[in-house]
Amino acid sequence: MLDNTQEIKITPTQPDDRVKIPAPGPKRSPWYLLTGLVLGIILGLLYAWLINPVVYERSTPAALDATGKDLYRGIIAQVYAATGNLERASLRLRELGDEDSARVLGAQAQRLLAEGHVTEARALAMLAAALQDPQIPPDTIEPPTLLQPTPTEAPPSIPTHTLPVPTSPP
Amino acid sequence: MSKRAWRYVFFSLAILIGFAAGLGYGWLINPIRIGGFASPDNGTSLDALPIDYRTDFVLMIAELYQAEGDLPLALERLDLLGKQPLTTMTEAITYADSLNYADVDLQLMRNLAFVVQQFIDNTD
Repeated sequence: MLDNTQEIKITPTQPDDRVKIPAPGPKRSPWYLLTGLVLGIILGLLYAWLINPVVYERSTPAALDATGKDLYRGIIAQVYAATGNLERASLRLRELGDEDSARVLGAQAQRLLAEGHVTEARALAMLAAALQDPQIPPDTIEPPTLLQPTPTEAPPSIPTHTLPVPTSPP
Repeated sequence: MSKRAWRYVFFSLAILIGFAAGLGYGWLINPIRIGGFASPDNGTSLDALPIDYRTDFVLMIAELYQAEGDLPLALERLDLLGKQPLTTMTEAITYADSLNYADVDLQLMRNLAFVVQQFIDNTD
């Protein structure tokens, strides 16, 4: 047994070979990344909104907001009422991209009539009628009347059983 | 590269990513209306229309002025196009002239421009 014993030499390691453990210090948090991100977003928005905003070169009347479309439609109708040029009015209305121009014109006429704009409402109704039947001369079109909700019959009163009210304390 | 250098790299990358996100939002998702134009999704106003439609709108106002003779109303309608009435008229007439609009239409616009010019001169 003792013959198999081997001598093991352990040489001390050099100080330079040791694993370096960093000295404990203030740990850096990743907040600087968030700061960079926010800074970038602000710069990007400034560029996109102020320096080089998107410009849509081909805005058409179909892209107008609801108010703009109503104004545009109203002017078209009034011009039609003044000139009687249905072809030109139709071409202009087409630019608004309404699916059913006559119906839209009629609805707008009703709205304006309810608000008391009789002249413009009449012009819109005239154009709507002319679109539906181009043979109708503009002068013969009746001015629109405000649609009233149809009165519904009141439901019959259903008698209910109620307890008699005592007239005197028991 | 030292740890400090890496931090600068990551910081720059964060700025770039943020910049791209800002551009995406500002150009695609919510483009702001500057210079009279806006996203069609949001809807534009009359002053955002390009010159051909503006010219037709001015022609309609001139046609109505011819029929009604109401200058204040015509000026109010011209105001919808966002610029000074005379500027709007001049631009429209120039454009209509360049496209060879019918003489009748050109004359209508010129008549209105003349009346607007007179009104402005008298006001000043």
